[in-house]
Amino acid sequence: MVKAVRGVLVECEPAIKSILVLIDSENRNEFIIEDLDETHLFVKETMLHLLKQKLEERLKETYRPEEPLEDSE
Amino acid sequence: MPPKRKAPPGNQAPAAKAGRASAMSTPGPATPRSIESSAMSDPEDDDDMAINDEDISDAQKEREALMTREADQFVNKFALGDAQRRQNDGESRRIDAASHLFKKRDFSHLPLKPDHHLRPLWIDPVTCTLILERFSPLAARVTDFLITIAEPKSRPTFMHEYALTPHSLYAAVSVGMRPRDIIDTLDRFLKTALPASVRRKIEDYTKSFGKVKLVLKHNRYFIESADADVLQTLLKDPVVGGLRVHGSDTTTYAPTMGGLVIPGTQNAAGLRQANLTQPGKPGAAGAAGAAGAGAGPAAGAGAADPADPNQEGGLLANLNEEEDDDDDDKEAVHSFEISDANVETVQKRCLDIGFPILEEYDFRNDDVNPNLEIDLRPNTQIRTYQEKSLSKMFGNGRAKSGIIVLPCGAGKTLVGITAACTIKKGVIVLCTSSMSVVQWRQEFLKWSNINPDDVAVFTAESKNKFSGSTGIIVTTYSMVTNSRERSHDSKKMMDFLRSREWGLMLLDEVHVVPAEMFRRVISSIKSHSKLGLTATLLREDDKISHLNFLIGPKLYEANWMELSQEGHIAKVQCAEVWCPMPPEFYDEYLHSSARMKRTLYAMNPRKFQACQYLINYHESRGDKIIVFSDELYSLKQYALKLKKVFIYGGTSQSERMQVLENFQHNPEVNTLFLSKIGDTSLDLPEATCLIQISSHFGSRRQEAQRLGRILRAKRRNDEGFNAFFYSLVSKDTQEMYYSSKRQAFLVDQGYAFKVITQLANIENTPDLAFATPQESRELLQRTLVDNERGGEDDVETDDLFGKASRGGGRKKAGVRRTAGMLSELAGGQDMAYVEQNKAANKALKQAGGKKKGGAEGQNKFFKGIQREKEKSRARG
Repeated sequence: MVKAVRGVLVECEPAIKSILVLIDSENRNEFIIEDLDETHLFVKETMLHLLKQKLEERLKETYRPEEPLEDSE
Repeated sequence: MPPKRKAPPGNQAPAAKAGRASAMSTPGPATPRSIESSAMSDPEDDDDMAINDEDISDAQKEREALMTREADQFVNKFALGDAQRRQNDGESRRIDAASHLFKKRDFSHLPLKPDHHLRPLWIDPVTCTLILERFSPLAARVTDFLITIAEPKSRPTFMHEYALTPHSLYAAVSVGMRPRDIIDTLDRFLKTALPASVRRKIEDYTKSFGKVKLVLKHNRYFIESADADVLQTLLKDPVVGGLRVHGSDTTTYAPTMGGLVIPGTQNAAGLRQANLTQPGKPGAAGAAGAAGAGAGPAAGAGAADPADPNQEGGLLANLNEEEDDDDDDKEAVHSFEISDANVETVQKRCLDIGFPILEEYDFRNDDVNPNLEIDLRPNTQIRTYQEKSLSKMFGNGRAKSGIIVLPCGAGKTLVGITAACTIKKGVIVLCTSSMSVVQWRQEFLKWSNINPDDVAVFTAESKNKFSGSTGIIVTTYSMVTNSRERSHDSKKMMDFLRSREWGLMLLDEVHVVPAEMFRRVISSIKSHSKLGLTATLLREDDKISHLNFLIGPKLYEANWMELSQEGHIAKVQCAEVWCPMPPEFYDEYLHSSARMKRTLYAMNPRKFQACQYLINYHESRGDKIIVFSDELYSLKQYALKLKKVFIYGGTSQSERMQVLENFQHNPEVNTLFLSKIGDTSLDLPEATCLIQISSHFGSRRQEAQRLGRILRAKRRNDEGFNAFFYSLVSKDTQEMYYSSKRQAFLVDQGYAFKVITQLANIENTPDLAFATPQESRELLQRTLVDNERGGEDDVETDDLFGKASRGGGRKKAGVRRTAGMLSELAGGQDMAYVEQNKAANKALKQAGGKKKGGAEGQNKFFKGIQREKEKSRARG
């Protein structure tokens, strides 16, 4: 029997794609259905939100958030 | 060691979070202000300067720790308390729809004056920050005033930001400003009324500062004050009063600038002319005296001022008038003597009871220490900003200790030499490396008429003394602070240095030396005045906060933009080039350790291409290019691949000299790759373009120092000339973050960085390296393999001109055991050795060698031997 999985096409920069693939591999391949090319991925629809969240976290590590200016205390 | 500053305490964190959303959306003050150092992951602490901590006895360490704590207390004493902040906020405030956007920076409660559009100055009463509209017609005058009373924080083209700090106010008082004048003048230029809290603060800070002076006169210490009441208070104090030398109370008259003339200025030129018409008074020293004696101090000061209106700026003219008035009824100064041994106790006590002591050296009346025959050469003219900075130092005819901040290449050395020529006493110069020792000595000989025998050098190699009774000693910080067992000669030399009193201590590149080191220098060598020189008074750690306390206040800080407009330093175009990481590199980057990450973003093939493109482009324009890389591995790879010369820590001395010489004079060698050993004190006026491929995290100082390499470009006064500074950054990596951090200092100086995301026609570059994905992958593999073994020892401890004299830092590789054939040892394996990727350095050497062989006349004997050899070779 054919089993269908709803997915979303994600288009992004190569660097972001690299990060997404990394996240996927760290989480037992829960997110990505198919790695299409340098800038495209096919991702499980149900996991999309979680993936976005994880990506945000990851990006924060790379670009450290600006230290608050003196006046934003 | 002072504790590293931690991130702001936790209680601020939640508030910061709450305010985040709006903080992001509000375009705050455009310049990234990063005065706070803290959160940087900057492991660079002492690596500029070697201190052999283990050699110092525990007792000494303990004492230093104690002193550090005391200095901290002193510094903190004047920091703004939190309580005070809150109190200021309590002022009535109108709340409207926009209020929340400004948070605590809502100053709408400060009423604007009716004619506010004519006034150029804003104030932030909480942080005491002054913001100047640079486009106002009054700006020039206000700038002069602000430089005197506040510290410049940020100076882009249209808006300048200054901060009123205790130290800056202290400096203002020490050049003779009065609190009343400061408040009145501020009030005149402010758009709003001067907030009461700021007024109070200025009064508080200035009240106690500068009231009491510690003066070394005839080699005896005097406590001096213009205010008899203050002195009475001190005398009644149980500690200070008890230490007074009895019967020494005197009343004298306040010194004025009077006959003192800083050599090399216009006044000095005028004086020389006057001197020519009066042939009876020989010598410049006589002339200074003559002017003072003939015209009287009051008239002397009066005559000096109109002759050079720039000196203090129009704004201060009225102050000067007042000073002159004071001269007429002669301000009385009361003083009493204290003995040498108790100076430090008294200083500390005075600090505790709220009268910090100002140190000054009345060198004109010091006839105990012999005078040094030194004068600037008659044709030497110092520039206006150099004169300004020196007039801050010699403001009242005495020498004040402090720090002068001038950009690289703006003639710090000449400022130091002029100061020495003004004081005319024994001088000790401390610099960072043995090469700059040599440079300092040469500069002294070049600019002044000093007898070459009187300029002595104290380094590991040479230890000579001057011939006469006094002179100049040039040495390095490490020579003086080294507390290990010394050779007999240097021990004798140190004893000599310790036993003398010096008129002036010149501290070159003060920012590299942490406070503990200074304390050791200052405690071992006695000098009457200290002058620190630097281009970048900042460190990512907070080790310079005590410099104010140990050396003195910042006397002067030059405006980089102004100097470049006047043509004293080169105009520079700064650009940040973003290089995307190819996917395979980025994949690897994400998986790697921090160390490998750094190598990877330096080895990014796109970055390599950008570098190649820029080198080609600028070489074809006739520029001389320096490429900087902190990463040794990438430095070598780049240089080898592009066939350029390079210098790093492992390059031998003779090779370095050869490479540098070729870079300067050989039209074939236009690009030089340098590791961080070239960051400072490298004088290559030929260089006009700078490319940075990897750098030290977020070090703002390194960025500024590297920029300094092209500021003194020879061609800077050619019409339309620009020097170029490129910083290559790998996109999506931590480098982006560091890069923005690094630029903060230069942005504050008014430089603007352009961001280049795409270099035009880069694909069309001939022989573009790593153009295909295949090559790029190979590069990645090679990089990974080469660096797997932990890479090379990346620690470079020396500077460009030789290894510093601290032994055994680098570890030798251990013995390795491999299987092999005996024939391998003899080279008998059938393998031919061909060097595929030759270093360009070697080509230079060969070319140099050939030239030498041919051109220089060899001894006949050797020629004969060579001929024999060639013959036998031809036969065989």
